[in-house]
Order: sequence, then C-alpha cells, then structure tokens
Amino acid sequence: MNFKSALKPIWCPGCGDFGVLQALYRALTAVGRPPHEVAFVSGIGCSSRIPGYTTAYGFNTIHGRALPIAQGIKIANPELLVLVAGGDGDGFSIGGGHVPHAVRRNVDLTYIVMDNQIYGLTKGQLSPTSRKGLRTVTSVTGSIEQPFNPLLAVLAYGAPFVAQGTPADMAGLASMIEEAIRYPGFAFVNVQSPCVTFGDHDWQLKAHKAALEKAADRGHDPSSRIRAMEMAQGYGSELVTGVFYRDPEPPPTYESLVRERQDAVRVDAAERARILEAFVARQAGEEVA
Amino acid sequence: MESDEKECRGVDDLLIGIAGTGGDGVVSAGESLLGALAVEGYYGLMTKSFGSQIRGGEASCRIRIAATPVRSAGGTLDVAVALDWDDFLKFGAELPVDGRTTVLYDSASGVAPDRLPLAGVRPIEALAVPIAEIARASAGSDKAKATVVLGLLAGWFGVARHALRNGIRLKLARKGEDVVAANERAFAAGLAFADEHPLGAPKRLAPPLAAGRKWLADGNEMCASAAIFAGCEFFGGYPITPSTEIMQALGRDLWKFGGAVLQAEDEIAGVGAAIGSSFAGRKAMTATSGPGMSLMTEMLGLATVAELPLVCVDVQRGGPATGMPTKSEQSDLLQAVFSAHGDAARPVLAPTSVADTFHVTVAAFNIAEALQTPVIVLSDQEIAQRKEILDPIETSGIAIVDRRRPAPGELEGYERFRATESGVSPISQPGLPGGQYLASGIEHTEAGAPTASGAVHARMTEKRFRKLRALQARRDLFERRGRRDAAIGLIAWGSVAGVAHEAYERAEAEGLDVQLLVPRLVYPVLEEVYREFFSRVRAGLVVEQSFQGQLYRILRMFVDVPPGVQPFARPGASPIAATEIVERLRAGALALQRSHAAEMQPVE
Repeated sequence: MNFKSALKPIWCPGCGDFGVLQALYRALTAVGRPPHEVAFVSGIGCSSRIPGYTTAYGFNTIHGRALPIAQGIKIANPELLVLVAGGDGDGFSIGGGHVPHAVRRNVDLTYIVMDNQIYGLTKGQLSPTSRKGLRTVTSVTGSIEQPFNPLLAVLAYGAPFVAQGTPADMAGLASMIEEAIRYPGFAFVNVQSPCVTFGDHDWQLKAHKAALEKAADRGHDPSSRIRAMEMAQGYGSELVTGVFYRDPEPPPTYESLVRERQDAVRVDAAERARILEAFVARQAGEEVA
Repeated sequence: MESDEKECRGVDDLLIGIAGTGGDGVVSAGESLLGALAVEGYYGLMTKSFGSQIRGGEASCRIRIAATPVRSAGGTLDVAVALDWDDFLKFGAELPVDGRTTVLYDSASGVAPDRLPLAGVRPIEALAVPIAEIARASAGSDKAKATVVLGLLAGWFGVARHALRNGIRLKLARKGEDVVAANERAFAAGLAFADEHPLGAPKRLAPPLAAGRKWLADGNEMCASAAIFAGCEFFGGYPITPSTEIMQALGRDLWKFGGAVLQAEDEIAGVGAAIGSSFAGRKAMTATSGPGMSLMTEMLGLATVAELPLVCVDVQRGGPATGMPTKSEQSDLLQAVFSAHGDAARPVLAPTSVADTFHVTVAAFNIAEALQTPVIVLSDQEIAQRKEILDPIETSGIAIVDRRRPAPGELEGYERFRATESGVSPISQPGLPGGQYLASGIEHTEAGAPTASGAVHARMTEKRFRKLRALQARRDLFERRGRRDAAIGLIAWGSVAGVAHEAYERAEAEGLDVQLLVPRLVYPVLEEVYREFFSRVRAGLVVEQSFQGQLYRILRMFVDVPPGVQPFARPGASPIAATEIVERLRAGALALQRSHAAEMQPVE
C-alpha cells in the first residue's frame, strides 16, 4: 500500500513533522485500509499540510475547524477511516472550542496534534502550549502566560484514548498511531514535534531523545484515567511517551448511535415523496379539526 | 343591487388581531382558529408576535382569513381583540386599528367604550365584553379566556363555528376530558354572548368558495420538508431564533430517511459538519439567523473554494448583533451576498411565502448540487414563523438534481478541479477508488495541489465564477406581473413581496400603469431581467424591510436604475402595508403626469 503522494512537503529541513509523516505512512500501511477509504482532514498551519502528502482523500480546511468537518465526514460515511491532524495553535487556540465536543460525542476519529509550542507558518509567535518565559516575536521579554496542557485537558474531556509520542522514537510513534487508528472511538495522539526554525532551541529531537521516558517503563497502568491524569501533569517539564489512557471498555461511538437511531425509525425510500403529506397530516392531527 | 349581494355574501377577507399576556393562550387560540378555517376550506395566514420574555409577557397573533389565497398578513385590523390593553398597545404598528375596526376587549379593564386608549382613532364599534367573567362562570378558570374569544369571533363574524368546536376538542384532547369539556362550555358561552348581543355594524365572513383540501404549514416546517424532498441527508446547526424550528423538524424526520442531524457546539461547527458531510458525498444543509451567519462566513468561503454543495438558510431577524431576535427584517441581504473575503460569489435565493419556501428550498439544493457551491436561502421571521393555509403543493413535476460524479472512465488521471466549459468538474468522494484528491481552502491547481501561482489563482477564480453563468437562464426564478410597458415599476423580494403583490393588484384595479417584478434569485443580479424591466419604467419603488434598502443598493451596482425608482425601505417590526405602497405608487403616477404635462408645454 503506497500512502506517499507526489507532493513535496513545504516543511523546513529537520522539521519534526517529517518524522510524523513517516510514522503515519507506517501506521496506515500496518492498518491495511486502501487509501481511498481514508479521509484525512486538517486545519491550517505547517502540520496541517500533511493530508496532501498522502494518497488518501484529503481535506485541508480552515484554521481550527478540522474536527467539526471530520465529524461530518464520519457521520456521513462511518465506513471511512477518518484522520484529523493539525498543530497546537490550530487545535487548542483557535479550534479549542471544538475539542471537548468531538471528544464527548466520541466520534471514531484519530486526532494527531503536532505540538511544537510555536506558530511556525506565521514565523514564530507564541502558541497556547509555549512555555512560560519563552521569548518569541510576540513575547520579546518572555511569555507571561501558563501553557495549555493538551494531555490533561483531553483526558478531562473524557477521551477514551490518549497518547503522546515524538519522532525521536519513530517505532514507538508509528505503533502508537496505529493503535490510535485501531481504537474504536475518539483517539488523541499528542506528538511533540519540534520546530527547527522558530522553536525552542533547547527542545529539539536531540533533547527529546535524551529526555524521553516510556510510560510502560514507568509501570504506568493505561486503564486508569486518574493515573493518566497524574502522569499528564508532567506535560511541559518531562517527556513521557506511550499510551496514557485507553478505556478498556470502549464506549459506543457517536456514529454507531446515529446508525441505531436511523435503523429504528427508517421508512421506505418511497416515503420520501410523501414527506410533505406526512408532515401536513401531522400538523393537521394536532391543530386542525 | 351589487352592494346587497355583498351584504348577503359577506366579506371575503377578514383580519383579526388578538393580544394578551403570555399565559392567556392567545396564540394557541389563533392556531385553533386557523386550523378550523383550513378544514372549512378558507385560505388564510397567521402571524404571531411576542415580547422578548421567555415566558409570560405580551403575546399577539394576527389571523387573516380569505376566500381566495392571500399573500400577506394584511394591514389594518378588521377586528381587534384586547384581552389586556397594556399588552395590546405594546404591539403598536403590528396591530394597527382605524375607523373601520371593530374592537372587542375585556370589560374587566374598566375602560369605557368611548374612551379607548387608541390615540385619536375612533373604531367603528367598541364592545366591552366580560371575557374573564364568562370564562370563570363557564369553565371555572381565567385560563379559558381565549376560548371565550373564539366563541365570540365565531358568533359575531361567522368564522368556522362548527370546525372550531371540533378543533378545540382535538387540540385539547391530550389534556383530558375535563379540560375539553370546560373549554367547550367556554366556547359555547362566548358564542351565546355574541348571539345575544348582535353587532351594530355587522361584519360576517362569506363562506369559502370551494372546500378543497388545504394544507397548514409555517415557513420553517416547509423548509425542513422541502429539504427532505430535495434529498437532504445531513443537517448541522445551532439553535437560534427564528430558525430553530428547521433543525427541530429535521431532528424529528430526517433520521427516517437515513439522514442525521447534529446540534453542534456553535454555528461554525454546525456548518463545518455539513461541509464535511457534503465532502463525503451527502446533500447537506445548515440553518441559522444573522448572528450565526456572521460566524459561518469563513466556512461559506471554504465551501465556495473547495466547490462543495451546501445549502445555508438564513432566517432573518432584526440586527445587527443580537438586534431583535423575534422580529422580522430583511437586512441580511448585503451580508448574504458580500460577506466573504476574497473574490467569492454565491447564489442567494429568497422565498416570498410559506408555499414558496418549498420551491425555493428545493431550487437551492438543486443549484448547490449542480454548481457545487454554497447557496443561501434568505428567509425571514415573518415567513418562517407564520402559519399559512395553502393548496397542496404539486410535487410530481419537480426535478431533483444530484451532483455530477465522475464516470468510471473519468477516473483515469482524475483531476478534481479539471477545467470544463461550464466550470463544473466531476466530483468524487471518499470511498470511491481512484477518485482521491485534496479538497482545500487554500488555492489549488486543477489536480488539487496547493499553489501560490497568480496564473492558477486567476484561472480557478474565473472557473468558480463561470459556474454561476448557468443561473443567467433562470428566468423561472423571477415573477413579473402587469403590462411590459407600464411606466411605474414595483420591485420587492422576500416576505414583503407578498405585500407588494397585493399593492400591485390594488394599484392595477385603480387604473395605475404599474408592473411588478419579484426576484426569487436575488444574487447574482440577472442584469438582463432588470434592464428589460426598467426599459420603460420611469418611476417606482423597491420595497424592503430594512433601513438601507439593500436590494436597491445592490441593483444600483449592476444596472442603471431609473432615477424615478426609489427605495421604500423601513427597518423591522414596523410592517409595510399594501396601502402605503399604493399611496406611493399613486404619488409616482401623479409626478409622472406632471412632468409629462411639463414636457408638453411649448418652449418659449
């Protein structure tokens, strides 16, 4: 299965997103669905260019709105494998209002955030996950804001699958994305994907390699949301990779409930022509003698 | 002789306005009345109006009853019912009273019939009726006041005496036999009171001309059923007055046809999910009002550039910002047409009545699918929430259009945005092998690859505009009445077009040299249609319920509007009456005569 498209990525040499793309190719190949059954949705930002670099159906939408569009796709055709990708600004700043709702509906999406703690496409402004004190072109004396904690937030929203990876551990990232895709429900993968051009010089792939600690090696129990949330507190001060939380009893997906409701009330297709009659009759029943 | 005949037959058109406090059941009574009238074979419509309170506060309805189809809520009331004067007066111009109005009100108010609080107006007859007292005596409760009023109306004005009794039974059946019986007694008591106190100035409604089967619907329900008829499979939206009933109706029915409704976290997500659904191959829609339209603007641009079919209904209300959520206005036209960054144009359609909402909504889906573009339906609160009695809609001749999908051969070297003569390219969808492409808001090549090339951008922009050329042939979306060479022109769109139709009929009957043009396709402006219309017009009006006169302004961008044609525009919650239009047409005719006479003067 070839998921690599002919388009050449616009990313800077050394960008973490190359690694994410490679991991994704591997994961998709391992999952084995043909490219035409995959819909890959993104927002706006460096990382949001990623659908174009695959042979899947892609939708490079507008800033912050990938999740609502992806939900519409999955509800329209639950047979599709729907991936969503974007950056930390796209997902947690402008699009932050959509995340809890995608999570609570539990639409079966795999949401990959390439978290580089900076706005790269617009050349180096503060992002919602930038660390306090970070100097950027919009925080020349250092950021005075606390960073947003994506892992803790998405766990708190109730997501049934939450993981974190880094391209510094390609094999780990690929298998994590594969697992997220296979998980029947909303799966969130936060990828620490450093920006070589505008990002924190002290937080590049080399530093990731040195810092990364696998959750499994810590003896972490991914079936406990509370444990996962405790571990997620370390976001920003340590780099733990692996599955933080995996609901051992996946709750029903939104689209399965949609299907259930449709099946419960479905009428003959020929009835469509009579819908008008039907609705007028209903009004008449209530209001006309 | 003629007038005698009229006495016998009664009036063919009766307008009743009722106002009270929220708990009085005024609107519910109006609905019972309209339903009963539909059963008897009358035409008619009912508008309702509320104060801004969630519960309680003032409520009113206007019921217009006629032997022939009506196009507007009418002007001055023939019958005004004030359960409470304070409430009645709050509606001001929405419940206008003049010297021909029969006024009835609760005598408990203590107001003397010759001292009605109606600044300077002396109605033809004022009837103080102990409405609350009759309600208590007959039904044991003040709650039956509205039912007493129905009895009074049935008795005095001859409206639906028998059907009303059945209507009350049917409507209240769920509340138990005690409630039904109490209300039947209240109705009978009202009826008896009317029979015992004949009117000094009788007004009786003539029997309907033909008792054919009728439908009863409001614009929002009609929009929802039209969507289903057109093949809509997905609705994404967010509750907002006065459009919410569209989502509610689809939430009840769309599932039955394999569709789904998503109440999203906001309007952006609602329209976003609809766009996603459309990308995945389904017919999709959203509905909202002005504030939601503002939020959806960027998404609408995305649908334009990604060339995805989408129907977006904007049920207009008073604006800007929160404005007047429960009042009708036609002030979102400029927004519907122009609120996009970049060079984007999208079709904007406007229904003129409840029945018309069906046709316009279906047309919107067809255009969206055929041209792979978002289409805006500009409804308004007046049409959306008024109930109309109409003839059954004949649907057998209405074609349903689906998007042009690639034929198997066309998937060879498939390019999603391939240049074609019409500008429309075959559109694939996820799941279709070999049809993969990248949809995007970023400018793209024919193959869908992102680009920053000026040449490609120019070509693709032109392609997206070229698609709209097909609309130039849609003369069927315009209605014209009158002699083609009439010197006075009248243009109106949306709900106000109904009023303009009636004004046109009266002006024509008066012998004014007038013609009428009603566009349902409001944008793009079909210049040829207007040029033709204006070719002989020397005076006239563009009638709109907005401050700026938004259609008038748009027309001036595209066509030479004769200087004698002026906007007659007024913001919402002050309905424009047919008489006001006729007065202005008369004045226009007079001015024309004078200038004509001046032209005829010999030059000194």
